[in-house]
Amino acid sequence: MRLKMQFWLFSYAGFQTKEVAIGSQAIINIVLTEDTKQLTEVVVTALGIKKERRALGYSVTQVAGETLTQARENNVLNSLVGKVAGLDVSSTSGGAGAATSVTIRGVSSLGQSSQPLYVINGVPMESEPVGRFSANSVGNSGGQYDNAPDRGDAISNLNPDDIESISVLKGAAAAALYGYRAKGGVILITTKSGKGNSIEFNSNYVGEQVMDRTDWQYIYGQGTNGQKPTTQLAAASTGGSSWGAKLDGSNVIQFDGVSRPYTAQKDNIENFYRTGNTFTNTLALNKTFEGGVIRVSGSDLHNNSVVPNSGLNRQNFTLSATLDPIKRLVIDARFNYILEQAKNRPMVSDGAGNANYNAAFLPTSINIKDLEPWKDAKGNEILYNTGNPYATNPWFAAYEFIHNTKKDRLLSSANAKYTFDNGLFLQLRAGRDAYNETYLGVTPSGTAYDLDGGFTEQLTNFSDINVDGLIGKSFKVDEISITPNIGASYRRTKVSQTTNQGGSFQIPGVYTLSNTGGKTVSVTQSDQEVQSVYGTLEITYKDILYLTGSGRSDWFSTLATPGRDNKLSVFYPAISGSFVFSELWKPSFLSFGKLRAGYAVVGQGALPFKTQLYYNLRSETINGSPIGNIVNSSIPNPSLFASKAEEFEVGTEMRLFGDRLNLDLTWYSKKSSDEILDVPTSTTTGYSGATLNIGELQNKGVEALVSGVILKAKDFSWTSSINGSYNDNKVITLAPGTASQLLATSRSNVGFLQNIGGMAAGQVMAYDFKYDANGNILKDTNGAPERGELKAYGSAYSKWTAGWNNEFSYKGVNLSFLIDGKWGGKIFSATDYYGYVFGLHQATLENRDALGINAANYYTTYANNVSKQFVQDASFIKFRQLVLGYNFPAKLFNNKIKGLNLSFVGRNLFILMKKTDNIDPESSYNATFPGMELGGVPPVRSYGLNLSVKL
Amino acid sequence: MKTIIKLYVPLLLSGLMLASSCTKDFEKINTDPQSVGQAEYNPNYLLSTAQLNYTGSIDFAYETWRGNLIYASTMMQGLSSVISYWAGDKYMLNEGYTAAYWEKAYPDQVKYAADLVEFTKGKPQYNNVHQMGRIWKALIFQRLTDLYGDIPYSEAGTGYYTGNLYPKYDSQQAIYTDLLKEVDEATTALNASGDAVSGDLVYAGDIAKWKRFGYSLLLRMAMRLTKADATLAQTYINKAVGKTMIGDADNAFFKHDAGGGRPTQNRNAQVLLGDGGQENYYTRWSSTFINYLKTNADPRLSKVAVTKLYLTDGTKTQNPNFITTAAVQKGMPNGKDLSGIAGRDVRKDPSYTDFTDYSSPHPGMLKREGNTFILTYAETELLWAEAAQRFGIGGSAATHYNAGVISAMTYLSQYDAAMAITTTDANTYLTAHPYVAANGLDMIATQYWAHTITMLDFYEAWSNWRRTGIPALVPIVYPNTNTGGSIPRRFPYPLAEGVSNAANYKAASGAVPGGDKLVGKVWWDK
Repeated sequence: MRLKMQFWLFSYAGFQTKEVAIGSQAIINIVLTEDTKQLTEVVVTALGIKKERRALGYSVTQVAGETLTQARENNVLNSLVGKVAGLDVSSTSGGAGAATSVTIRGVSSLGQSSQPLYVINGVPMESEPVGRFSANSVGNSGGQYDNAPDRGDAISNLNPDDIESISVLKGAAAAALYGYRAKGGVILITTKSGKGNSIEFNSNYVGEQVMDRTDWQYIYGQGTNGQKPTTQLAAASTGGSSWGAKLDGSNVIQFDGVSRPYTAQKDNIENFYRTGNTFTNTLALNKTFEGGVIRVSGSDLHNNSVVPNSGLNRQNFTLSATLDPIKRLVIDARFNYILEQAKNRPMVSDGAGNANYNAAFLPTSINIKDLEPWKDAKGNEILYNTGNPYATNPWFAAYEFIHNTKKDRLLSSANAKYTFDNGLFLQLRAGRDAYNETYLGVTPSGTAYDLDGGFTEQLTNFSDINVDGLIGKSFKVDEISITPNIGASYRRTKVSQTTNQGGSFQIPGVYTLSNTGGKTVSVTQSDQEVQSVYGTLEITYKDILYLTGSGRSDWFSTLATPGRDNKLSVFYPAISGSFVFSELWKPSFLSFGKLRAGYAVVGQGALPFKTQLYYNLRSETINGSPIGNIVNSSIPNPSLFASKAEEFEVGTEMRLFGDRLNLDLTWYSKKSSDEILDVPTSTTTGYSGATLNIGELQNKGVEALVSGVILKAKDFSWTSSINGSYNDNKVITLAPGTASQLLATSRSNVGFLQNIGGMAAGQVMAYDFKYDANGNILKDTNGAPERGELKAYGSAYSKWTAGWNNEFSYKGVNLSFLIDGKWGGKIFSATDYYGYVFGLHQATLENRDALGINAANYYTTYANNVSKQFVQDASFIKFRQLVLGYNFPAKLFNNKIKGLNLSFVGRNLFILMKKTDNIDPESSYNATFPGMELGGVPPVRSYGLNLSVKL
Repeated sequence: MKTIIKLYVPLLLSGLMLASSCTKDFEKINTDPQSVGQAEYNPNYLLSTAQLNYTGSIDFAYETWRGNLIYASTMMQGLSSVISYWAGDKYMLNEGYTAAYWEKAYPDQVKYAADLVEFTKGKPQYNNVHQMGRIWKALIFQRLTDLYGDIPYSEAGTGYYTGNLYPKYDSQQAIYTDLLKEVDEATTALNASGDAVSGDLVYAGDIAKWKRFGYSLLLRMAMRLTKADATLAQTYINKAVGKTMIGDADNAFFKHDAGGGRPTQNRNAQVLLGDGGQENYYTRWSSTFINYLKTNADPRLSKVAVTKLYLTDGTKTQNPNFITTAAVQKGMPNGKDLSGIAGRDVRKDPSYTDFTDYSSPHPGMLKREGNTFILTYAETELLWAEAAQRFGIGGSAATHYNAGVISAMTYLSQYDAAMAITTTDANTYLTAHPYVAANGLDMIATQYWAHTITMLDFYEAWSNWRRTGIPALVPIVYPNTNTGGSIPRRFPYPLAEGVSNAANYKAASGAVPGGDKLVGKVWWDK
């Protein structure tokens, strides 16, 4: 008898469909396997709502957590470099634990942060590095005399091992539900939740090495006027100058009175920085039980920085519990407790107390090892350049100065969702991000420029509470399904900062506040509340057409002014749609195709306390009398209103040739208006700026992602993907009468970063030659060129970014590498400027003998008058990442070990192309303004091993 | 659909109501709890700040170091330094340093004085503090315009009140015209029976002293215009006759406080004690100044100058056995360095024996809690002497000259008791150096130069020297000066103005007679 086979078809979202022949079995056991292909099709969108990718009317890029853990970075965001089209990630030269700047689709705000909003498991989190938009009395802000360490950022506290996935909501349409927080885009981070029963262990060890990017002249040595020093005093008082005689190997007296051969010292950078390392271990346990599943993890990161006596330690503890205590109710609770201790965050920019600066500019004939010992018997700094006590001995800077931070942070969230039988759901979520941070800064006793030293302790208390509720239900009418959701949210953010300072340690070397002479205290507070309501309506027709409309209103405390009836709210509408045309037209080469379009308005509120003029008293008194203080350095604005940004985007996604080739293309246009900006004013107003509500800014661009399986054989596959983006930015207008907005001033004071009406944001400004009517270069009485106009030489923001990722796999072996690049940005190289002033730059060799004793003056005047030569093209291509790994087969361990992977990993391995002479084109000393560099940690290459075990 | 309407619309509406009704406390949330507004503030505190900041920046004596010391003191050959960054000693341009005064004075001095004036305007309960604010503001602006020429004045410092973010540059002529009017009006309007001024850290609210200070300032301002506008000058000089300071007790000075660190300590002291470098060792009295005192057997020599104050360049501890003997005092020549090159290195100069033999300022002048002199009776009397000699206004030139010289010696006790000179000694000096009318203008201006040097008010010494050309200082010789070898006559405008106030800067910079350089000239410098 022939049995006619019948099949059951089992399917479940996210799992491969399975066919099981129906036989005579009474019980059918079916194990569905996860379909990774399809899982990536479900993406996390705004408010944490998971949606099918095909339904989205906007561009979202999702990055899986495992791509962040192997070749890892201390700041997890740096791992996104080159992986997401339209995402411009720039790290800063601030050493381990430094902040990172992320801009999505170009700089979106003139006067406020362009950093995206981070949302962790549905709870928004602020991550604004100290800088232009987050001023700190002991931090850098873009001023000429910036001379503080980078203080890191909030997002870098996360442990990559805890991250399940990252979704990048690039445009306004995607982020519309975040309203006033969505202008810079949104990065949604989902952390791992419990799954099954397992133990996971990951261990990662990398060594770190600096790359010396300076290429100085090594013809002339330390000295002045073309001469070798002949006395210790002459050597020491010009100890920073390479304007001496030709290096001839003769014995020449140096700053310390010792005569040494007058020869080139080319390895000062290598000799100063050490081989650093980072060792990270993470252990995670998953446990499933009746009524829930939990995941507990602990992680320890231990870093010894390449900068001597500097490093970073971090411990992360997470608990994630998903519980269903009663039917239809799901509770999800997560805690992430972070302890971070940074030892001696390195100074950047200006030279005082800055080891990086002084190591970079040491004269050509001075060996950095001869700067040891760095202090005398009394504990006083031994200067290599007594002519400038601010030229701190780099060893003294590294070993005696203190810049420690310590942070205790708890990120917690709870989410309860109740679903009624009829499909109506009710969701309540509360999250709190709270941390205490202590910064300890010590200018040690014996510092040449501050003999008695000084003490700074800053205590920051931060809390950000977000609560939101959402209610919704899907209705199905024939082929159409309609899903309305409405919700409301509340945010309260409070920061309190107490800065205790004291000068003159009474007992030298005892670094406590009570041991100081004069003491001052300054307390700053900030407080803001925002209330919001929003609603969305989704309409779906079959699997073909998806339409989403939404609206959100925000009410801001920061717009309120006592005695004024300001409009405190703003309404943000949005609409987007997706049309899956492959459902209607499906030629053989096309497996999937859709068109999408979205339009949305989002915006930004103001910072707190910008609407009133405030007075108080200074901490000090004069012979008992108080000293008044006007708090505002920017002129307040009592009638602020919210800014807005309108964005339109269209795009397409296609999968071709049996899914061998994937395409994702987007075009967008975004216009920001009513920008709230602190316009720098002439200091003659008494204020450094004024808060206005006026500028306009535009970004237009395209993003593309092409990925394909190039080769696919039985044991071998090669997948390659290229992502790229182009962004055209333009500042349309600043305030009336305001042609330019100063963003940052180079320490050299002849290079600036400005916004200029009609040009791309962040113009690098410098001085041209001065010309006569016939175009001849004018020279001063000493023959050096005169200073001409201050001109814009291009935006510091790159126009083009691209990343090329390749993955090869052969049996259990996998190899991947990433090459990325940026093009079209400019940088002002203050390193080259000082190269001129100190006689280090190769360009200062020209005519040096002929100029004789005038050489130093000539080239210094040249550098001061014609600074355009220090504006350089910051384009680069880097070999960013390499991973070579092997998955040991489980059977090797009798299946006692479910998975074991060992990989060789490398980051920032080579620079394949650059156009800068003496610096890394990615150099920057602050995450809140690009295009300025000086005195940072040289670029670091890292490589090592990663071991991942699953039991 | 009915469900939707029934369920969602009320929810949405109640959500909206909830949100909009909860914004009541937004004004309170958006008010800085660490500060107050004008309604709760006492403007007297602003006067204190304007006075303190006029003595120099709370930011490590920023412009005192650069403007007063590195530039003015060495150009006027009061001090001399071999420290490489003391560009003024070599007539070299360091744009950061020449801009320093402007960049601190506007936000630290002008902001507070202007806010005080606007804050108290039309409020009778604050009349006296308002008038003091006007006088102090004029004092601030006189120095600013003397250093830079045409500067933002009428629109400056009032950004909060007027919304003007890019103040125009007023001509120095217009500025002086208004300064004279302001000081005249405000001094007249001070009322002894009006509000008590608690924030005055100079005269402790003494209205009579303030009136004499106001008229003395009026005289100094008017005298600046002897060449540029003698008629206007005489109009105001006449108004001050008989109303100016009457003795050392009227001297305007600011007493500092060692306790509050850099913000409260004496500005000149912080720098010259070597807090930020080796100024204590490598900056000395200039040979020009010491030779002048020596040649004239001036009793001030053994009071202001000491040798062996620091015994090595590696210590900041003063030698308690420093030497005040007049005969051994020796100034250091200007325009020297440590290059090792003959003709330039001070150690190859004929005057050199040992660094410790060059005279330093007396430690009594450099106390952290010491006084900063603002305007003195001696200056006033010397200016009266010149007014009498030049225009025949205000009595006998000789009488004023004698009073001025005596006070220029006796006032030193206000630095430190150890520096006191008796009236008898001062009279002995005058007997040996009697006033000679034929040589009067020269004698007066030379005394004014020496006196302002002892005040450590090198800004004022430079201004009066530029106006009178007296004494005839011999410029230093050094390669690569930025002036072609002449003594600078003006600070160039800050580069930052070209960035933040571009249009106004361009116009003003282009209009400086002699160019926007160290050799350009201000209006009254004819």
